[in-house]
Amino acid sequence: MLNLDRAARSGRMRPVLALLTLFAVAYAGSAAAVDIDYDTRRSAALRRCDDPQHHGRVEEARGCYRPLLRDDNALVRADAAYALGDLRNANELFRAAVAADPRAVYPRLRWGHMFLDAGQKDDAQRLFEEALEINPRDGAARIALALVSSEQFEGNVTQGLATLVAENGNAIEGHLLAARVAIDAGRLDDAVRAAQRALQLTQQQQKPPVEAYTMLAAVEVVRNRDPGEWTRAALAYNPRYGAMFEALGDFEIRRRRYTEADVWYKRAVDVQPDLWSGRREYALNLMRLGRIEEARPHLVAAFEGDPFSTATVNTLRLLDSLQKFEMVKLTDPAVNLQLNKQEVPTLGPYVEQLARESIATFSRRYGYKPDAPITVEIYPDHDDFAVRTAGLPGIGLLGVTFGHLLAMDSPAGRKSGDFHWGSVLWHEMAHVFTLSVTKHRVPRWLSEGLSVLEEWTTGPTPGVSITPAVVDAFAADKLLPVARLDDGFMRPTYEDQVQISYQQAGLICLFAEQRWGFPKVVEFLRSFNDDATTEASVRNVFKVSPDDFDREFQKFMRDRYRAYLADPKRWTELMRRAHTMLDARNWANAREASQAAVDMLPDFTGGGSAYEVLAEAEEGAGNHAAAIMALQSWRKAGGWDPAGLRKLGALLLAAKRNTEATEVLAAVNYADPLAVDGHDRLGQLLLEQNRGADALREYRVLLALQPLDTAAANFGMARSYRLTGDRAQARRHLLESLDTAPNFRPAQKLLLEMTGDRTP
Amino acid sequence: MAAASLLEAPVIARSLRLSCLPLLCGLALVGTASAATQVLVIAGLGGEAQFDERFTKWSEQVAKASATATGDAARVQRLAGESARREDIQAALRAAAEKLREGDQFMLVLLGHGSFDGSEYRFNIAGPDITGSEMLALLDRMPAGVLQLVVNATSTSGAIAERWVKPNRVVITATRTGGERNAPRFGAFWAEALASDEADRDKDGAVTALEAFDFATRKVNDAYKSDAAVVTEHAKVTGSEPTRFVVARLGAAAMFANDAQLIALRTEQAGIERRLAQLQLQRKELQQDEYFNRIEPVLVELARLGVRVDTRLATLGVRAGESSDAKP
Repeated sequence: MLNLDRAARSGRMRPVLALLTLFAVAYAGSAAAVDIDYDTRRSAALRRCDDPQHHGRVEEARGCYRPLLRDDNALVRADAAYALGDLRNANELFRAAVAADPRAVYPRLRWGHMFLDAGQKDDAQRLFEEALEINPRDGAARIALALVSSEQFEGNVTQGLATLVAENGNAIEGHLLAARVAIDAGRLDDAVRAAQRALQLTQQQQKPPVEAYTMLAAVEVVRNRDPGEWTRAALAYNPRYGAMFEALGDFEIRRRRYTEADVWYKRAVDVQPDLWSGRREYALNLMRLGRIEEARPHLVAAFEGDPFSTATVNTLRLLDSLQKFEMVKLTDPAVNLQLNKQEVPTLGPYVEQLARESIATFSRRYGYKPDAPITVEIYPDHDDFAVRTAGLPGIGLLGVTFGHLLAMDSPAGRKSGDFHWGSVLWHEMAHVFTLSVTKHRVPRWLSEGLSVLEEWTTGPTPGVSITPAVVDAFAADKLLPVARLDDGFMRPTYEDQVQISYQQAGLICLFAEQRWGFPKVVEFLRSFNDDATTEASVRNVFKVSPDDFDREFQKFMRDRYRAYLADPKRWTELMRRAHTMLDARNWANAREASQAAVDMLPDFTGGGSAYEVLAEAEEGAGNHAAAIMALQSWRKAGGWDPAGLRKLGALLLAAKRNTEATEVLAAVNYADPLAVDGHDRLGQLLLEQNRGADALREYRVLLALQPLDTAAANFGMARSYRLTGDRAQARRHLLESLDTAPNFRPAQKLLLEMTGDRTP
Repeated sequence: MAAASLLEAPVIARSLRLSCLPLLCGLALVGTASAATQVLVIAGLGGEAQFDERFTKWSEQVAKASATATGDAARVQRLAGESARREDIQAALRAAAEKLREGDQFMLVLLGHGSFDGSEYRFNIAGPDITGSEMLALLDRMPAGVLQLVVNATSTSGAIAERWVKPNRVVITATRTGGERNAPRFGAFWAEALASDEADRDKDGAVTALEAFDFATRKVNDAYKSDAAVVTEHAKVTGSEPTRFVVARLGAAAMFANDAQLIALRTEQAGIERRLAQLQLQRKELQQDEYFNRIEPVLVELARLGVRVDTRLATLGVRAGESSDAKP
């Protein structure tokens, strides 16, 4: 189960955001970030005012820009308004400037940069594309478009960037972008070269060096060294240059080093208190660190300075909505569960159980005991969760981990079978450990790979469950070498590469575990504590070169998926035939096709899997034992769809295999715990097996779900309490049951038993 | 508060709207047990194989369960597919009107697609559709004093609710208005309710129209929630006292309704239940412990009587478990 969210990717909350960001452009007040326009087309009048602005002499700069609002040149007026932070006016003036010279490229670029600063990347992109339609060779427009792609974490940036920079060798912004991309890709030497070149050009062209200093400082930060040389230089140039520290914080966030980011964001706010974006990011990061109350005043300040920032407004709303949540504090191990109040009695028991199990499991496997409470936040409203995770790059998620705090979606409000919340929790909890044992230095791919491995091997859905897409990608030579696998997460170059990278990372960890054993994998993980690269750790721990590692992994893949790789089209045809035959109730042919499909790719257990077709065909043919076997194989391979589990449970019950049925029906709770159906049946089975405490959990959840049949639920409570020895509670629930249904015969019998009545 | 007598029970139940104290509902059933009940179940055209299959299956389930309520399968008529043409429906309703007498009950269950053009509801059947007005005219021809229950589980069925309801007629529709046009899921869960212990909330062995309605609406809502889909149907009850209608009986006891010993036990049970009902009316005024202390001995009496009922049923050949939950 991957924590990628189909629903979120479909953009459920976009309309709201769009509305807010429209307001942002229309009414934003003073934008405190300093825009640096390196373009030689910038007018001399503006450049005169830029100088005090870039040195942090704000009032002097404003006094200089203000008269330019009456300049004859529409573009100068627009840029002056932009520099003064009057974005509403600037927007109209840019519009007028573009209208005045419809074939001009530069006004569109300036307008686009304003949108980019306002966070409206789509609008910015549209303007940059328009500019390129007018002049496809305009270097600044091409760099601007690459910048948008970079900020949207699209993967096609690196490929063309080198050429773009080479063709526009004097464009400072090209080298700055190259430096930024290289830092993200871990190519730090390249980043230094690009940033140094940018710095050199700023000196030659008499432009502000602060952004080049920022990139050089960022490299030092990523190298875990003191960036003081560059931060001092930047502050010497502009004592109010908070954007540099905000950028350093952002780089730390991308490396999931939230504690370190906190330091930089705080400096950003200290240096430039009116840097509203910095204040917002500082607050968001405080929330990641679980310091909600500290975050609130900074968010309020950010809101007052920039009342139309989507992230700020949404996060403040989220803070208000936290009143609907309750914090349940567990001890030994220390865990804080933050759940919606309505979900405390329904989801809470299962979350607690899984949190405890996962912490015990990972403490043992990774040799690490959490030194602080772990907070688990679960949001029934995906939009709340999305706001909670704001600031993270990339696509929609189901769960996210910020060190000792993990946040995730609740199964409420999602279609049954859409996601397995138990696996998401397991996956995220594994991150807590892999991040912690490496002080957040674990590469993204390894952290994800180990989380996926834990899902497959120790989680609530054990079984290596993959999609054919990852094997197809392997066959098409699209899987990345281990040393570059982070790119698959951070800078995907083809559709679904992120999902495929999750699976590849999991398979690599599985391969490593099988090849060298799990202790060696843990040693490999811990090696990143010393800031090693993937290449170095592979060599040092596994004693093979990265190339050899990749070769062995490829052999592992070829061996594991030999049958599928021999003829992938045949598998697709078999699947189609199996479903067609099933629809036609041709049980024999459906069985034959689905069994062959299972044999070719046993690791595929997702929706409509061959296992499920096989089980249905067997059941249709009256072979219930074979249907059970098919579904058990499916489950063993990682199948978890609640409908399939319920079917397996029903078949086992019909076959009077109650103990096995109990275990299967209990597993449903980690996929679909909020459905009323099933808790009573499971409770009864647990009572049959004298598991009073477990039965009590089921009936408590059932009652909290407000079932129609309260008599039966209270009767179950009574039986469970009786089994646990709590006679008073047993009597209370029994009488409650009979108060609703006085002639409920099983409850009557229990009443006679409990009262010691000897009926004549 | 004055003690409620057997005759007052329906009044109290009405004052509680759609929820009532279980025993009062039970007592109301005792009062109607001897009335003859006639059921007509009609499955309309599905238009697609999957719908045809569903409607036929649901109508079979409803008809089978209805026989437990009427006590005689001959009093249940099912029309489906080609045998559910306009003239067949008209004939069936006319025949029912001729057979039924004051005090009897008539239940009509419509499963399938409906349509509403803003003024007229139509039930989609083989041949020309039958209109709501036509069916209403036929229902109005039932003898005065025949209690009627209409369960219209079709799309747009809400359009007929207010038009069809009468003091002696309760109308249950799958949708709130004629504007809810999507094929409702209500029919499936209504059919399920008639054979469900879960629907029989008071465990008296009889599923009332209200219990079946509550079960079906809850399941409909749960199903939409499970699919994370927008709810496109909102069932409603129009008319008073849906608890007057037993739509299905569960367990084996219903088969021995004429056994003299069981009748005597039923009378005894009714007396205990009346005492319990008196106490239940005091629940809000008492501390929980005090309330439980008071009802416990009465419940023990009922439980003892339950053992005697089971003993009698055993002598009649009902195996242990079959009589579970059943009212003698």
